[in-house]
Amino acid sequence: MDTLKILIADSTEENRLVLKSIAKKMQCFDIFEALDGIDALELIAIHQPHIIIIDVMLPRLDGFHTAKLIKLHYPQTIVMAVTSIIDPNMEKNMASIGVAAYVHKPIDKELIHFKLQSFQALLHSRKKEYKQVSVEEALNPFSLDIRHFKTIFTITNSEAMMDFGLWLLTRCEDDMNITCPKIDITVELFYELMRQKLRNKESLYIIVEESFVEIFITLQFETSIELQAKASALQKELDEQCMIKDNAACIRLRLHQKEDLQEEKKIIQTVQSETAPTKVAPSETKDKSETKDKKVLEGKDKELLRQSFVEKTSAIDYISDIGGDVLDEIRDLESLDEEWTQKLHTIEREPSTQSLHDFIDNVLGVYVKAINNLFEFTALGYALLSLGSFLKENAQLIVDEPAKLKTLAMLLEHLGADLTSWREHIFSLQDTADIHYLDSSFFSSCMQIEQIIGNKELATDDDDDGMEFF
Amino acid sequence: MAKRVIIVDDSRAVVATAELALEGLITSGVIEFQAYLNPAELLEALQNGSENFDLLISDVNMPEMNGLDLSRYIKNDERFKTKPIIILTTESSEALKMKGKEIGVTGWMVKPFAEEKLVKSIKMVLGV
Repeated sequence: MDTLKILIADSTEENRLVLKSIAKKMQCFDIFEALDGIDALELIAIHQPHIIIIDVMLPRLDGFHTAKLIKLHYPQTIVMAVTSIIDPNMEKNMASIGVAAYVHKPIDKELIHFKLQSFQALLHSRKKEYKQVSVEEALNPFSLDIRHFKTIFTITNSEAMMDFGLWLLTRCEDDMNITCPKIDITVELFYELMRQKLRNKESLYIIVEESFVEIFITLQFETSIELQAKASALQKELDEQCMIKDNAACIRLRLHQKEDLQEEKKIIQTVQSETAPTKVAPSETKDKSETKDKKVLEGKDKELLRQSFVEKTSAIDYISDIGGDVLDEIRDLESLDEEWTQKLHTIEREPSTQSLHDFIDNVLGVYVKAINNLFEFTALGYALLSLGSFLKENAQLIVDEPAKLKTLAMLLEHLGADLTSWREHIFSLQDTADIHYLDSSFFSSCMQIEQIIGNKELATDDDDDGMEFF
Repeated sequence: MAKRVIIVDDSRAVVATAELALEGLITSGVIEFQAYLNPAELLEALQNGSENFDLLISDVNMPEMNGLDLSRYIKNDERFKTKPIIILTTESSEALKMKGKEIGVTGWMVKPFAEEKLVKSIKMVLGV
């Protein structure tokens, strides 16, 4: 494999030394160093590094705006923020522009090492494909037009599969600004199909074709696809966006081009005038996140949460299938246990919309993000996101009623305990025969909490008559 | 005398919401409420005689044991053969309900539940 290039942008020499020592442990890395944002942009133009580790507080041009420019001009570059700034808004802003990871200082060497390893694997799989499959083989069934970009992946093991999932999510949600409410279902379907084949030691090609308005993904297996119940249900959800025939599965996603050009102009003006680093207006971020939250509460998403997993996967099988990346995610979740309880106690002691928002953004939000990265548990992520959205909308109402607040804190504490126990059964003890044992029940609990706190009527389809007596 | 109602569900949140729903019956002394998070623990307590119940409310999907299997074990025990069991679950497939019916459970309620409907059903089953 060609030499991988990494750029470290940090104004403090000590930090650069530590990061350099971690990067040196990786094989095939050329390392470049930048002291500020402008410096970094100049070095990137010359060397075009594959991975960039960037601090947020950089002189001349801050890390956020530097990263934004990098992702606009070099969307394939992997950017990781390593910073002492613990600001969920900044973390969200970074994620929204396509920054692959946001790691807090003090620097956790092992964590950075894991991240670099996973990035390296991702880059490796990207490079490999070009050599292995010819362009002619990449042909989507939706259109005969030649696509502008083509990327071909070879998947031979579960780690490569996870890398592809990560790549697709990053590409769709961050790089391309694709509006695709079904991206999670798409990833889940891919994951389901791939797992079946990988268990039988089959490898596969994934061909991604992109035009400026659409993205086509073709999964090409060695043998015919046999649709299991879960995959079949997911395919149904995707409707005409998905075609499965013989040994290929094809998905079409529509792209939604946002105001990229305007954004770019704005940033370039900032660079040219070399004004002091500015933060993105909080209202802008808030609006975006609220729009997204509301979308999740729509009926179709709720249907997804009620899905039934006919094919049971045991915790042992699941853990043996997943790659090392997941360990990072689980570690992040463990560290949230204490925070979950503490922040709830703060809400009870100092009731305010601010303390409630703090819990939603910094505990529920982080959990949602980590769970979504596990791919298999998007339903749990949605349930928490829906709940967070509901609590935000009703924050004032809740804070104004002490009895309601107390009940809410009690229920949320139990919900947190359920998540801790779920983690233990699946990732530590690995003693459950069905990794989805909690999914629907957890969703139901979230709805129940909304019902109790919001005095809402339940909008369910199947329990209109209450108890069914035999 | 208060009727002993046991709920078995691995989710603390479900137990807490059920307890909230039954608060009126509990505080007025109509029922006494006991929760088990692990079905195996309940089964052991029932088998060694340290536990008893007038109504059992059970989940289906639990990590240690399926609620329908638990119900079958309990119904096979002469001491509990006639005791009512209600299934409280997110599962609503007819096949599972049929299985429950064969085992001899009294009723089936789908989560999330409406509080008043749960209370009404429990009062009906217990005759209180």
